[in-house]
Parts: sequence; structure tokens; C-alpha cells
Amino acid sequence: MSFNPAALLLLIVGLGLIGWLAGRARSAMVAGRAGAKLHSRPQYHGWYVALWLFAPAAIFLAVWSSVAPAMITNDVLASEAAQRLPAFGFERSAILSDARGVAQGDQPSVRIEGAGPLVEPYRAATQKYGMIGIAAMLALALAGGLFAFTRIRPDFRARSRVERIVMGLLLLASLVAILTTFGIVLSLLFESIRFFQLVSPAELLFGTYWNPQSGAAVEGTFGGIPLFWGTVLIGAIIAMIVAIPIGMMTAVYLTQYAAPAVRRWVKPILEILAGVPTVVYGYFAALTVAPALRNFAVMIGIPNASTESALAAGIVMGVMIIPFVSSMADDSINAVPQAMRDGSLALGATPNETIRQVLIPAALPGVMGGILLAVSRAIGETMIVVMAAGLSANLTANPFASVTTVTAQIVKLLTGDQEFDSAKTLAAFALGLVLFVVTLLLNIVALRIVKKYREAYE
Amino acid sequence: MQTRIARRYAAERRFRLIGLGAVLLSGAFLAFLLFVMVGNGARGFTYTNVAVPIDFASTPLTVDAARLNDPDADQLIANAGLADIVAFAAEEALGDDGDELISENAWKEVRSAIKDDPELMTGRHVFDLPASSEIDMAAKAGASGALGARIAELRRDGRLSTGIHWPFFRNADATDPAVAGIWGALKGSVLTIFIAFCIAFPTGVLAALYLEEYAPKNRWTDMIEVSINNLAAVPSIIFGLLALAVFINWFGICQASPLVGGLTLALMTMPVIVIASRNAIKAVPPSIRDAALGVGASPVQVVFHHVLPLALPGILTGTIIGMARALGETAPLLLVGMRAFIGDVPGGICSPSTVLPMQIFLWSDEVDRGFVEKTSAAIIVLLFVLLSMNALAIYLRNKFEKRW
Repeated sequence: MSFNPAALLLLIVGLGLIGWLAGRARSAMVAGRAGAKLHSRPQYHGWYVALWLFAPAAIFLAVWSSVAPAMITNDVLASEAAQRLPAFGFERSAILSDARGVAQGDQPSVRIEGAGPLVEPYRAATQKYGMIGIAAMLALALAGGLFAFTRIRPDFRARSRVERIVMGLLLLASLVAILTTFGIVLSLLFESIRFFQLVSPAELLFGTYWNPQSGAAVEGTFGGIPLFWGTVLIGAIIAMIVAIPIGMMTAVYLTQYAAPAVRRWVKPILEILAGVPTVVYGYFAALTVAPALRNFAVMIGIPNASTESALAAGIVMGVMIIPFVSSMADDSINAVPQAMRDGSLALGATPNETIRQVLIPAALPGVMGGILLAVSRAIGETMIVVMAAGLSANLTANPFASVTTVTAQIVKLLTGDQEFDSAKTLAAFALGLVLFVVTLLLNIVALRIVKKYREAYE
Repeated sequence: MQTRIARRYAAERRFRLIGLGAVLLSGAFLAFLLFVMVGNGARGFTYTNVAVPIDFASTPLTVDAARLNDPDADQLIANAGLADIVAFAAEEALGDDGDELISENAWKEVRSAIKDDPELMTGRHVFDLPASSEIDMAAKAGASGALGARIAELRRDGRLSTGIHWPFFRNADATDPAVAGIWGALKGSVLTIFIAFCIAFPTGVLAALYLEEYAPKNRWTDMIEVSINNLAAVPSIIFGLLALAVFINWFGICQASPLVGGLTLALMTMPVIVIASRNAIKAVPPSIRDAALGVGASPVQVVFHHVLPLALPGILTGTIIGMARALGETAPLLLVGMRAFIGDVPGGICSPSTVLPMQIFLWSDEVDRGFVEKTSAAIIVLLFVLLSMNALAIYLRNKFEKRW
């Protein structure tokens, strides 16, 4: 019998079910014997017993399955066979994990010399702690279940207890969001501080040469300006030049001119455009758009045109953002009071004059907010730039040249084979921090603008 | 005056045309993208096979038929020299270049055929073996010169046939387009999304219920709301960094597995589900809550017996859309190790695996030209799955949405 968390979880779920049935039956019985009315309906008594059976055992299971491997390893290291292991380092852990693999049945035989004698101690320790864990878990489940079972009386307020637990669960679920936010901030900060001990923040933010090497951190190779420029060029300039006019005009046409039938057809098309995965856009940019643009650049005589151009990535990213800009503009235009539109039309303005001189100025704050959100989305976009914009950090304004972005560099820095503590890996987290802060600021400013403007008309 | 009006009306028409043009342009982009993918990808679903007779009587495969169901049968057959037998048979049947005409992994197809039917090991049988990537491309797209002539010759001999490329649907990744498939990635995607759903859906719905129905107005609630709204707008790659730092380096969850990928995507989609669920819950009219409270239901009973069932269609719609987005997501999974080459179909939630978008990314980097159509074919499969999910969401919305 081995310690298999999934199977054990299933077991205690089953026990919980039995507890539910037992609790329900007992409450009915107790009530019938005493001739009294139950405070809570029988299924609440059932839930009460089931929760007492399940929750302590499940918590124990979670704790035990994260602690047990360390205890097993300790036991094995104390055994006679482990005394011959190499003192520390990679070889030692490789032998240990090989022996563990055999002992747990993941692999048929040992692959590394020296792991053989460790298999038996591993097996014994796994067995031992598995048995202890199962026994303790069952004991906890039974104790909890019995405790709850004996408390069932006609006047026992089972429903209030169960509801309190449910409320706790709800609160816990909503705390996950805060936990995630803290996790992001802390993990980025923590790794970035370690990076800034090697390289000064000023260099990352203002240096103009980016060429991180493996090994020790070299001064002067972590200048972030080329990355930031590339990000701005692709995400905030080229993509927006494509997305803003098309997105805005689409929104204007759909809200002001289009017949309902047209709207019914165009909206899903925009939704599909928004739902295409970014990796598909990236492949499209790299396979189709980039070579076409390069041929065009060569034709009009632009020097050093590259197949990995900022323009290709930017244009495709712009297409990706169109539905987003369009739906934001749609919302803001719709939020302009009908009276303003009617007033303008009544004065004899054509629809086009109304749109340009009344609706869009009135909707401008909302549209600006939407554009800021779109920019924040574009600079955080990864796959398109990884696949189409290239990885060489050039500080150039030539849109046909290859530039790189913050996100592309994060991917490049973290997907090589290296240890986790190298300056290159830590640099990725520092870049992530910059990206996170910038997108956060953009979002906050954008939401402020949108909110303030909404209030003005409501 | 008249000319002024005419000018204004002309401007009006121009403006309208520009608007129409913008809409058509978006549509044209989509159509062009789909056209390119379908044009490239349609050929990726088929493959050229070469008929090769293999005579096991003259070149025997010395494998005990009783052991073909053993777990190490693959190794056993490989050790018996099947690859050489197949190469020899190809040269025998097709001439000196026969070995190069078929894929270097063609013998693996023979192997699985033998495992299915041990009878094949005796006597002479004709196998349809996958052609080499070069021959396949030339046969499907047409070729000139010596290669074209050779293909015409093979065609004349009736050796070439083109059929549905079953390995594409059956296998995991490989370095040879003749045997590379999406099944491994598809299964990885299903497992990953399953994990993400199991975590994000309950958490998201419960959080939405709390925020919408019970949360007191205080600093904590504000903080929760602010962080949910911000998380929804955080770039996806940041979630990858979080997962790398916390799940892999801190908790030590198995790297590159559907488990860690699913956890990452769960964190990413949870805010989307919370926001969609809150809107659905908000749309349930207060009169229902008042009525339930009025007949004596407790606040928890009101929510779980009345509000939640009524809001469920809206919640499910939002969840499906969120899951579709997670299914197409690549960037955060790059950082948790799922970009490694995985030649096996993943066995469980803790075994190394890859996902469909990642497979597309990996294939797009392959040098072998044969992978271009495989990549597009994989994209077609991915888009098909995503569009079906979105269609399901729209159907649910239209069918169950109530206007109060």
C-alpha cells in the first residue's frame, strides 16, 4: 500500500459521503426518538458530519504530502548505504532521485551507478511514512466524524455552523486574488533586488547597450533603453497607428451608420479577431507579413531591411488590438447622452459633423482611456514579438530593422539552460518588474479617466 | 449655399465610406489570415505514402511473437534490426535511392503495424510507408528536375498514394514531419485546461458570490476588488514569472507538467471568471432575493438555492470564454518549461508535456520545410477548437439568457 494523495483524497471524499448519510439518518432518528422538531433540516446535520470528517483529514493530507518526501530522504540518508554517497552536489542528488524513481516504480531499473543499494532503504522509508500518513489521516477523519456525530441533537444548530464554514470558504476564495497580486509583487521585487545587487538600477533603466552574457554580470551589458524603445516602437507607435484609426472608424460605423443586420455580422467577426491566439498572429506575422514587408523595403531601397522587422510585428499586433479599441470606443460613444446627438442633428449638422464635432469630443476621455488600456495590452504582448520582431537589441527608428522588446527578452533570458541564480535569469525578473509597474500605471490612469468621465454624464 | 450643402453631403458620404472601409479592412485581415492558414494547412492533414513490399521470409525479424505485448516490445523490435530490414526492402523495391525515398522513421510505422497484427511478421506484405519529407512536399506541391522525374516514375509504377496523415492525429512531437503529430500536445492541452478549470472555476465563482452578495464595504473589500481588476489587465507573461518563482522554485512542483501549467493559467483566468460571474450575479433581480428571504431562507440559502442557479448560464458563458483564452495562451507556459521537446504523449498531470499553442510555436521554428504545413494544420485544429468553444458560449448565452 503506497501513499498516493489522489487516491487518498478520493477515499476521504468517500468517507465524507458516508458521514453525510450517517449524519442525516441520525438527526432524523434523534428527532423521532425525542419527539422534538429539528432546528436544522437533516441534510445540514449530514453536511456538518461530512465537513468534520473531510476537512481535518484533507488539511493533514496536504501538509503530509509536502513534508513526507523530506522525511523519507532524511531516513534514507541516515541509512548505512547512504554513507558511501558523494558528499554534496549534483551527483548526489542525481543518485538519490534515481533511487527514488525505482523505489516508487516510475522507472524499471536504476540508471546511475551507486543508486542500487539505496533503492531498498527508499522503499522501506516510503512504506513506513506512507503507512504512518495513512493511519494518521484515517484517525483524524474518524475522530472528526465521531465528534460531529455525537453532537447531533434536535436543537443543535447545524445549519448555522455549516453556513459559517461556507462563508469562510467564500472569503478564502476572494482572498486568492489578493494573494496572487502579492505573490506577483513579492516574487518580482525579491528577484529584482537580487539583480540590483549585481547591476545598478540606473544601468537597467538608462543604459543604452543590451547584450547579457552567461556567467558573472558584466557592467555595461544590461542597458534597457534599446528594449524599452523597441517596446514603445512596436506596441505604442506602430500598433496604435494601425489600431486606432481602424478601431475608431469601425466603432463609429457600427454605432452610427450600420444597419442592425450588418452589426449582427460584424460583431462576431471582431470577436473572432480578438479570440485568435497570439501564437497564430505571431506565426502569421513571421510567415507572411514579414517576408512581404522585407521585399517591399528592398524594392524601395531601404538598407539593412530584415525579415524580422518591427513593422511586421507592429502591424499584426495592431490588427490584434483593433477589436479591443473598437469595443472601448463603442462603449464611450454609446455613453454620450442621446440629447447631445439629437441636438446637433436638429441644428442641421450632418451625421458626420455630429460625430466629429460633438460625439467624439464628448467621448474623448473614454476613448483616451481605452487607448491607454490598448497600449498597456500591446506592450505586454509576447508571442507576436518573440516570433516576428527578433531578438537583437538595436536602438533604431527604422521600422524595417529588427528590434526587440521587454517581453521577448524575458522569454529569451529564461528559456536557455542555466542555473536559476545567474544574472541573466534575475535580469528577466527585473524586466518583468518594469513591465508590471508600467502596465499597472497605464491601467490605473486609464480606469481613472474612464470612471471620471462616466460620472460626468450620469 | 447649394454648393456648400453638396460639399457637406459629399464629406458625409466620404466619411461613411471610410467607416465601411475600416470594417471591411478588419474583415479582410481575418479572411486573409484564415485563407493563408487553410491554404498552407490543408496539405498538412495528408501525407504521401510509398508502397514497399517487405519479405520477412528472406529477411526474418527474430522477435518472439508472445512478447509483443510486453512494455518493452518497442525496444525489442528495434534491437532486432527492423530499421535495417525496412531500409533493405525499400532499396530492393525502389532501387538504390529507395532508402532515401521513405522517411527515416518509416520502420516505426511497420513496428506498430506488427504489434497490432503479429501475423505480418511472416511472409511477404506490402506496407504503405510514409515518404521522406522532401518527397512528400514534392509530390503534393509539384516539383521539377530530377526529383520531379523520379516522382513521376514512382507514380507510374503506382507506388505513391496520398492519404490522411494518421500519425498527425496519433503521435506526439518528433523531429521528422513524417511522424510528428499533435496528439501529445492536444492531450497536454486538455489536461492543462482541466486543471485550470478545476481551480479557477470554483474559486472565481465563490469569490464573485462573496464580493457581490456578502462583502461588507470596507478597505479589505476594496483591496480585493482593485487586485482583481488589476490582475485582469496584467500581461500574461508576468504570470509566467510568478509561476516560475513560486510554483517551480519555491514549491518545487513538477516542471513542464500540465499541473504547473494549469495552475498558472488558473491564476490568469480567475479574474476573468470573477468579473463575468459578478456581472451575471448582478443581473439577477433583487426581488428574487427578497422573496426568498421573505419566506425564511437564510442568506446562504438565498444565494445557493436561488441566485446561483439563475446566474449560472452567464457564469458558464464567461468561464468558457476565459477557458478558450487560456487554451490559446502560450507566453506564461514558455517560462514554466513547457517549450521543451516532448516526444511522448503525456501520461498524467505530473509528466512533462506541451500544449497545442506551444507545439505551434515549436514547429514554427523547425528548419525542415515539411513543418510549415504541419504548423498551419495544427493552427487549424487550434482555431477549430477555440471557435467551437466560443460558439458554445454564444449558444448558451442565447439559449439561457433571461431579460428580467
